[in-house]
Amino acid sequence: MAEHLIHTIPSMPRVPKELERQPLVLHQRGFASITDAVAGIAEGKTPKWWWALFVPSVLLTGVCFAMIAYLISTGVGVWGLMIPVAWAWDITNFVFWIGIGHAGTLISAILFLLRQKWRTSINRAAEAMTIFAVMCAGIFPLIHVGRVWFAWWLFPLPNSNSIWPQFRSPLLWDVFAVSTYFTVSLLFWYMGLIPDLATLRDRAKTKIRQFCYGLFSLGWTGSNRHWSNYEKAYLLLAGLSTPLVLSVHSIVSFDFAVSQVPGWHTTIFPPYFVAGAIFSGFGMVLTLLIPLRSICHLEDIITTRHVELMGKVVLATGSIVGYAYGMEFFIAWYGGNPYELYAFKNRAFGPYWWAYWTMVSCNVICPQLFWFKKVRTSMVAVFIISIFVNIGMWFERFVIIVTSLHRDYLPANWAYFSPTFVDIWTFIGTFGLFLTLFLLFLRFLPLIAISEVKGVTPQADAHSPLGGAKHH
Amino acid sequence: MKTIPPPCPEAESGQKYWRSLDHLADAPEFRQWLEREFPDGASEFSDPVSRRHFVKIMAASFALGGMGIMGTGCRRPEEKILPFGKSQEQYIHGEPQFFATAMPTRGSAVPLVAKAHDGRPVKVEGNSKHPDSNGGTDLLTQASILSLYDFDRAQRFVQNGNTVPKQAALDFLDAEAKRFQASRGDGLCFLMEQSSSPSRARLQNFLSLKYPLAKWFTYEPVDLGLGRAAASSLAGQNVSPHYRLNKAKVILTLDCDFIGSEQDTQRHIHGFASGRKVIKPTDPMNRLYSVESLYSLTGMSADHRLRVPASQVVAVAAALAAQIEPNNPSFRVLGQKFPLPASVKPAWVAECAKDLLQAKNELAECQKANADGPKENPPKPCGSLILAGYRQPAVVHVLAQALNEALGNVGTTVEIHPAGQPSDYLSNLRIALDAGQVDTLVILGANPVLTAPVDFNWAETQAKAKNVLRLGYYEDETFGKSTWHLPSAHYLESWGDARTSDGTLVPVQPLIQPLFGGMTEIEVLARIGGMDRTSAYDIVRDTFREEVRKVPAAGDFDNAWKKFLHDGILAGSAARHVPAPFLPAQVSAAINQAVATLTAPLPTKEALEVLFHRDLKLDDGRWANNGWLQELPDPITKITWDNVITLSRLTAEELGVQSKDVVEVEIGGQKIRGPVWVQPGQSDYTLGLALGYGRRFSPKDGGVGRVANNVGLYNAYAVRTSRAEYIAPGAKLRKTGETYAISTTQEHGSMEGRPIVREANKEQFEKHPGFARNMDLDAHSDYIPKDKVQTPIERATQGAEKRPEMIYKNPYKAFEQTKSQAGVNLSHLQFVSDVNQWGMSVNLTMCVGCAACVVACQSENNIPIVGKDQVARNREMHWMRIDRYYSGGADKAQKELIDDPQAVVQPMMCQHCENAPCESVCPVNATVHDEEGLNVMAYNRCVGTRYCSNNCPYKVRRFNFFDYNKHPINKLYQTPLTSTTDGEWNLKRWWKNPEATDIPEQEFELLKLVRNPEVSVRMRGVMEKCTFCVQRIESAKIKQKVKARASGAVQVPDGTFETACQQACPADAIVFGNLLDPESEIARIRKEDRDYSVLNFLDTRPRVTYLARIRNPNPKMPDYHEVALNIKEYWDQQHGAPYAEHAHPADTAQSAPAQAAPARGETKGAH
Repeated sequence: MAEHLIHTIPSMPRVPKELERQPLVLHQRGFASITDAVAGIAEGKTPKWWWALFVPSVLLTGVCFAMIAYLISTGVGVWGLMIPVAWAWDITNFVFWIGIGHAGTLISAILFLLRQKWRTSINRAAEAMTIFAVMCAGIFPLIHVGRVWFAWWLFPLPNSNSIWPQFRSPLLWDVFAVSTYFTVSLLFWYMGLIPDLATLRDRAKTKIRQFCYGLFSLGWTGSNRHWSNYEKAYLLLAGLSTPLVLSVHSIVSFDFAVSQVPGWHTTIFPPYFVAGAIFSGFGMVLTLLIPLRSICHLEDIITTRHVELMGKVVLATGSIVGYAYGMEFFIAWYGGNPYELYAFKNRAFGPYWWAYWTMVSCNVICPQLFWFKKVRTSMVAVFIISIFVNIGMWFERFVIIVTSLHRDYLPANWAYFSPTFVDIWTFIGTFGLFLTLFLLFLRFLPLIAISEVKGVTPQADAHSPLGGAKHH
Repeated sequence: MKTIPPPCPEAESGQKYWRSLDHLADAPEFRQWLEREFPDGASEFSDPVSRRHFVKIMAASFALGGMGIMGTGCRRPEEKILPFGKSQEQYIHGEPQFFATAMPTRGSAVPLVAKAHDGRPVKVEGNSKHPDSNGGTDLLTQASILSLYDFDRAQRFVQNGNTVPKQAALDFLDAEAKRFQASRGDGLCFLMEQSSSPSRARLQNFLSLKYPLAKWFTYEPVDLGLGRAAASSLAGQNVSPHYRLNKAKVILTLDCDFIGSEQDTQRHIHGFASGRKVIKPTDPMNRLYSVESLYSLTGMSADHRLRVPASQVVAVAAALAAQIEPNNPSFRVLGQKFPLPASVKPAWVAECAKDLLQAKNELAECQKANADGPKENPPKPCGSLILAGYRQPAVVHVLAQALNEALGNVGTTVEIHPAGQPSDYLSNLRIALDAGQVDTLVILGANPVLTAPVDFNWAETQAKAKNVLRLGYYEDETFGKSTWHLPSAHYLESWGDARTSDGTLVPVQPLIQPLFGGMTEIEVLARIGGMDRTSAYDIVRDTFREEVRKVPAAGDFDNAWKKFLHDGILAGSAARHVPAPFLPAQVSAAINQAVATLTAPLPTKEALEVLFHRDLKLDDGRWANNGWLQELPDPITKITWDNVITLSRLTAEELGVQSKDVVEVEIGGQKIRGPVWVQPGQSDYTLGLALGYGRRFSPKDGGVGRVANNVGLYNAYAVRTSRAEYIAPGAKLRKTGETYAISTTQEHGSMEGRPIVREANKEQFEKHPGFARNMDLDAHSDYIPKDKVQTPIERATQGAEKRPEMIYKNPYKAFEQTKSQAGVNLSHLQFVSDVNQWGMSVNLTMCVGCAACVVACQSENNIPIVGKDQVARNREMHWMRIDRYYSGGADKAQKELIDDPQAVVQPMMCQHCENAPCESVCPVNATVHDEEGLNVMAYNRCVGTRYCSNNCPYKVRRFNFFDYNKHPINKLYQTPLTSTTDGEWNLKRWWKNPEATDIPEQEFELLKLVRNPEVSVRMRGVMEKCTFCVQRIESAKIKQKVKARASGAVQVPDGTFETACQQACPADAIVFGNLLDPESEIARIRKEDRDYSVLNFLDTRPRVTYLARIRNPNPKMPDYHEVALNIKEYWDQQHGAPYAEHAHPADTAQSAPAQAAPARGETKGAH
């Protein structure tokens, strides 16, 4: 709380210490200092840590594309998948990355509509993460097909054969869902960037920077009219994005739920997938922002309270996911379908038991530690748990896809899947791509929404400079 | 392969036009100019296997060919290459031609109809005109077409390692003929394989007269003719027993795998299955008792199986004989020498003997009933049959023959046919060689350097002959030890003849000129004999001239010859049963000899018993280089590309080994190393070793081809001695600590209590004929009726009242409705055909799992092989697979069920679901339904998401993970980005020609020839699966439409065509046809009570249904199971007995509880 003001204004009611709410920006940072802190990251000399991360990331990106080149030039067989496990790491990785891409838009759209002001410190980075994650995700459905050069047949484009795609196929719904989600997320992110790009333009020292930022800030002057239009558009886009957050992962879950593979054919999938996606998305936001706030000295803007709040979201969604795991088993038993029951028994106690229990430990048990405030506020603990959440959510998709497929109806088909080095390096490579893009974003764009953060500082409110409920 | 129009030669008659004065003058410059104008074509002339070359050969085969079965008329006798320009009468470009021929086997032949496209044979099928054949074949015959186009086959004439022109070899043969004429054949020895060819026999007679001092030997590493020797000794003359399994009611096999590894399996399967074609529950059914050591296909089909070491089969036979003829003293003597092992319950033998005796007692009555009964019914099986296998010593064969005589089977199930004089044995050739008596050794076909007993040390023994002349199909192990090597012609390239085992004369006629100029046995013999007529064609005709005189009905020679070639048989040439005298003294003599010389020590952990067996796929190794066979999963173990050392669970536990452990086996000082495979059902303390693997490729010294190079860790011949050719006692096994990767196509052997294969004992079937429909989830649900599932067509014709309304509309009906609702007149479009609706049925009682269908499908549908590594990754491409489940094996607590499991097989291919789960998930409409009920794949549209495979509950779809057709299997993982072929960057090659391959061009051109031009070759990245042989369907429809003209009778009559698997099936287990045709066999089968579809509760409505399996066990036997083991598993794990009607939830309130079923899983006896 703005303690210096309390002394100067004696009429200010004293709030008991334990009821005091943490302000969203600590240490009474002024507007200028917020601008300096955020814009400075994009303007200053490239720090060594950046290069130390960027060079390996670019190399990994190279590995990723080399693996893809090998795959496309040789055949899908370079991966470990086979019949019956005809989808394995490819779709696992796709769903994993798409899930990560959920946090950004959820933070920027749903929390915006719900007037959760704390979102402002993290929404920009989370949205960037979303876009890069969706890019990584998009790679997999594209390259997993046997004949990549015909992948465009999934789009309803006029072609010489006059054949439409098959609108009953969930894969087609994926195409629409993911491309819509990506487009809207990108627009939303870019929209939000415009005032900050203008700030960077105004602060730019070199011609090139002035030109580039100038180009992308679309002539922003900060006039009232601009702000008015901007906020209306922002609200509209937030409204548009909100159903998408729910729809994308619901539709991704239809890939499985619509089929009749025991272990896939489950009505619980859409809500369970959405919860899981938010869970994994927040996990990734935490993984990225906790080191970032310390390296970039943003502790005053991304505060412990932010981290704690995200921890609560992780706890809530993790519990939903855990409930879904339990409910799947219950229904498998209650449904009386022996094939279904076998699929779930096999998940927990079959050849892939290790994957299942890794998943349960990471997704259900680990986040329960967030019941403790000490854990929620310990950056190290939160960081470690967020890593576990990421691992767990990758395994969740692996477990759903591979353990269901590897033993389905006819035991004669049963088989055990193992990945090849191409599977592994393609996946690791996408982290390189993701980090490369994210590091470029850090270096050249404001990673925190400067104008929005300013708006939630106490001093931005002329009527309540000490801060009030609306600033929290 | 694209059809290349034939070259147009100049017309030989008519007006001649000249292009220039040079042309008129036929100047050399002009000729050169002509060639330069077509450099591609010109350069191809020198290419031995180019397309153009094939066009020439093609022309040759037309000249040879004439018209086959599909055409009318007969072949022309000319043996010349004619230009295509003068088109053959009856030849329609692009239409396949069919020729009757036969594949010779040891002492028999498989009668065939071979299909040729533009002169290249692409498919062989059984000849159903043969009196003893239903048109089925075995898997080796189906695969034989690939060996024709094997690039590794012997292609050149070789003298002392140097390639020589063919003429040099012929000159040598002529010189030898002159030389031996002078010496009357002194020092001339022939080593041959068994053959039934009358021409070869005639030449052998001719040569024996001309060269009386020449010696003749026959060698087969696995001799399937032991029964012949036993029968001959009992009859006191040269005879051969001929078995008619279709006539037998009770069959007992003594280590005889007549389904898998004996002679003429296709006709045995046909006979056996015809005795199991139970349509009505009251229909008669044969019963099979099997006494065996290794788990064989026969054991899998058996109603009762006795597991004893092969050495102890003689004891079981003796005990049986004593039960059947208790008064025969020599049987008692034999029984004393070979007492029953402790593991065998005497009751098993006693009850089995009683069953055999009962069949004997009922024989006369049964035969009378058949004679008096209505003619339209197939005769009921009567009497019994006892068969002894090739592994067993002579005494067991003698006992089998004697017991058949005692049981009254001779003349009914066993016919005695006259036979020729057998040749001398390899051991005597060895003596002659060691004595230096052999000047020229002529080896025709056999590969003794590999296959001769190891103690013969054949490579060195053979070197004692001055000249070794070898006619061989491969440059194999014997190639390296021969002075002269002549390439042998494939049977589809050569004129010949053969007798099938019933004595019917069949022609072996070529469809193509020898690709590499190979010769045949009879040509070589004729040359060595210095005969005037050395062409195989003339020899065969001359033989036929003699043969046709024996069949008065055949008519004059010329017409009979034409008819012979057209029909593929000489009708009426079959041998007749000769009532040969039965000499009981010979039985006593054989028994006395066995008592004196034979030892049968009971194997123990320390002294294991090794059993050498003919491999189901490679035979004795002769088919090793055939990729289709290598990749075919072994019908029992499901292992591909390897041989293993099989042993039982108990043996493995006691020796501390498990599957895939590499062990060292020592027999009499010789050692081999190989991987262990724990085989349920194998006798304890025995090791099964398959012959024909573990060979090496060596272009210089000779060896196996590249396909079979290093396939299998061990070569069983290395430890096989003349003293113990099949059963070698006293072996030791030592663990090496290494493990070895084995590729199987089925990793899980248990059905897990799921009702996938449904079965019942005969008496249960009689009481509850509809048992198969009382199983699985749909038996409990209202949505899917318990009676048969209606097809949309049936619904349209019979009304939907039989079937409750579904939540989801069948796509057919839904579409029909939308059509009418939309108010659009689409009536001119026919969305569901009311002419043809295709369906298939597989009879699980008749199917024996021989896998001929799998190879037939591979051959018909251009299915690539993918290699051991890809099979290990579960990427085999077979459109059709045979699932094999052990029942009883899932219950780990009951180990005796693992040791004595029941097994079931189920052919599994695309089920062509009407409500196909694959179709609705394909994002690009690449897999759709056609109006005749086929689930079709549009390869060109497929992008390869593989979603269809994931959603297929049967997992019958196959994905091209690599360009299997364009790369050698060892280069699949090689990316064109970094690799080169012939020094050129592969990416650049691809850029220049996307069809480029890294297989050497000549080899690739040869490989292409085996492909069926009516089926597309799939590229990488697309899904494929069984099409119900849509090419055959369409071709039949077109023919029918042409025939129908304006009559409108476009429905294809039942039986006009068959799918490849159905055609190849010797058991007639697969039936395919039009469900809309009330006269069709398939429509009749669909009405049977035991017709069910797999996973029916998913409401996929497959067009492939199965007829539940019926077992016919004897309730008095100690190993009788009242409930088939897999049904017991189902019963224990799921709810409800399948032998009681399931009450619907709505009915339970009023109706009494389900009828009491037999006690849960109760089995009689302590077994």
